[in-house]
Amino acid sequence: MTIREKGYMHWDGQLKERRFPWAPITWLGIRLAFKKKYFRFIIFSSFVPAVVFLVGIYISERIEDFQYMLRGNKQMLEVNPAYFKAYLSSDFLLFMMVMILVVSGAGLISDDLKHNSLQLYFARPLSKGSYLIGKANVIVFFLLLLTLVPGLLFVFFKLLFAGNFGFLAAYPWLPLSVIGYSLFVTGFFCAYTLLLSSLSKNRRYVSILIFAVYLFSDILFGFFYENYKKPAFALLSLKENLQQVGAWFFRLKPAHDVPWYWSLLILLAFGVAAAVVMNKRVRGVEVVK
Amino acid sequence: MTAVIETSKLSKWYGNVLGLSDVSLEIEPGVTGLLGPNGAGKSTFLKLITGQIRPSIGTVRIFDQKVQNNQALFSRIGFCPENDSFYEEMTGWIFLTSLLRLQGFSPAEIRSRAEEALDIVELSADKDRLIRAYSRGMRQRLKFAQAIAHDPEVIILDEPMSGLDPLGKRKLIRLIKAYKERGKTVIVSSHVLPEIEALTRTIILIHQGKVFAKGDIHYIRDLIESHPHMVSIRCPDPRGLAGQFLGEDYVLKVHFGPDGRSVLVETNNRDKFFAVLLSLIVKSRREVEEITSPDDNLQAVFDYLVGK
Repeated sequence: MTIREKGYMHWDGQLKERRFPWAPITWLGIRLAFKKKYFRFIIFSSFVPAVVFLVGIYISERIEDFQYMLRGNKQMLEVNPAYFKAYLSSDFLLFMMVMILVVSGAGLISDDLKHNSLQLYFARPLSKGSYLIGKANVIVFFLLLLTLVPGLLFVFFKLLFAGNFGFLAAYPWLPLSVIGYSLFVTGFFCAYTLLLSSLSKNRRYVSILIFAVYLFSDILFGFFYENYKKPAFALLSLKENLQQVGAWFFRLKPAHDVPWYWSLLILLAFGVAAAVVMNKRVRGVEVVK
Repeated sequence: MTAVIETSKLSKWYGNVLGLSDVSLEIEPGVTGLLGPNGAGKSTFLKLITGQIRPSIGTVRIFDQKVQNNQALFSRIGFCPENDSFYEEMTGWIFLTSLLRLQGFSPAEIRSRAEEALDIVELSADKDRLIRAYSRGMRQRLKFAQAIAHDPEVIILDEPMSGLDPLGKRKLIRLIKAYKERGKTVIVSSHVLPEIEALTRTIILIHQGKVFAKGDIHYIRDLIESHPHMVSIRCPDPRGLAGQFLGEDYVLKVHFGPDGRSVLVETNNRDKFFAVLLSLIVKSRREVEEITSPDDNLQAVFDYLVGK
């Protein structure tokens, strides 16, 4: 029976909307990252500082037992907002985050551009927003695992080892600072990575760019600061800007004598740039004018 | 019959370059061939109806729903792009299941649908091989598999047969025809006329961003009055037969074939010519071996309309 004989029942049902259309993209991104051996090595190495800081929290509560090891450096193990800030904005942790971005984030959009996959994604029930959320969540997952999770665990274990809520009573805002700063760093690195990843179809080039921009900004700061001794040069460095904002989150004095909101504005500018560039670059089809 | 796809005054400019101009048409269930030379606007049309680019002017509606920003609608549409869109380091299986996951199926359903689709395109044996190792034809079949795996109502195929060997083409044509029988709407774009001719008689001919013709190939041919119809008759006495028509006003030209056994008549009134020819054959008991219309086909329609 041909179609003309059979006729056609016009479809008038309800179209189903998925609640989290971005979830498969995030899941695939996480799975693909874990398939890489060196990524697994980097992510597990990134937990080393968390373990060290956790041990520090334990020792801080048993300070008398470890007197022989500390030799008068007790203030190092004073668990306070500076301790949390020291972990969350440490050079090593930020460096490891960048390494994670290099390995797991560089190809997030650039691979799709290279393989022309966006047209397949957008021919499915998936909006551009959901696609970008899915991609960003891959980074969010890994970075929160290194910031928010250890940060909150530190608070939890501090209370557990102390056996009382004195710590929380002294710094009731600290959990919010941990959450706020973790989200801020993660948000910034998301924008930073997706911005660079959407600039090129070559994942290797993006990897180099992610690493080089971060490193070069710090080298630039070091060079100018050493020569001119002006704290404003800290604004050139992504790392210093993150640490300046971190100081504000933890109610500490910034390392450089520059208003923290300047650093915040610079980092937010990356977010705006990312939004503009991604809106242009992430399309179902390449539009050649 | 209700139209599945409706476009109204659809136009698209890329800067100063015209991609598509003022396209208003309705596409009904069945197979519709989208024809046109390279750069005619076929891909622009497909990108517009799949919501991948926004129209500069006009609207597209599928199932009476707007296409732009209506992601849920795409669960009922299957799209096979012209270019490869693969992650080379993925296996065919992972590629297909990852895309099915975006449709919101359960894991068990994803497995069964992926298996079924790979089975249809005969890639089950190669599903665990990296796409990098697939031949051109296998890649083409995998692209087709992802377009049909979620059992869409509308299947849009952009040059689906490029890269396929003759056997693969035949299989794909059979497959597309089977979808037509199931009441699906299939749009196949191609610039290879025999491919379209093997699939359907309903065409949309696009050239220079405009729809030149839409409908049944033979109906369109009848509408082209500027080109007389050609009728070729093979018979033992072509000159005698030609003599019967020479005085008629609807016969414009008469040529004889090089073999001396056929006559080619150009007429501006095909119906009248055939009526007279048939009565002549019956009355004078003329022996006729074959009657054909060499320009009543897609190639001729295409050539006449595109001006080649």
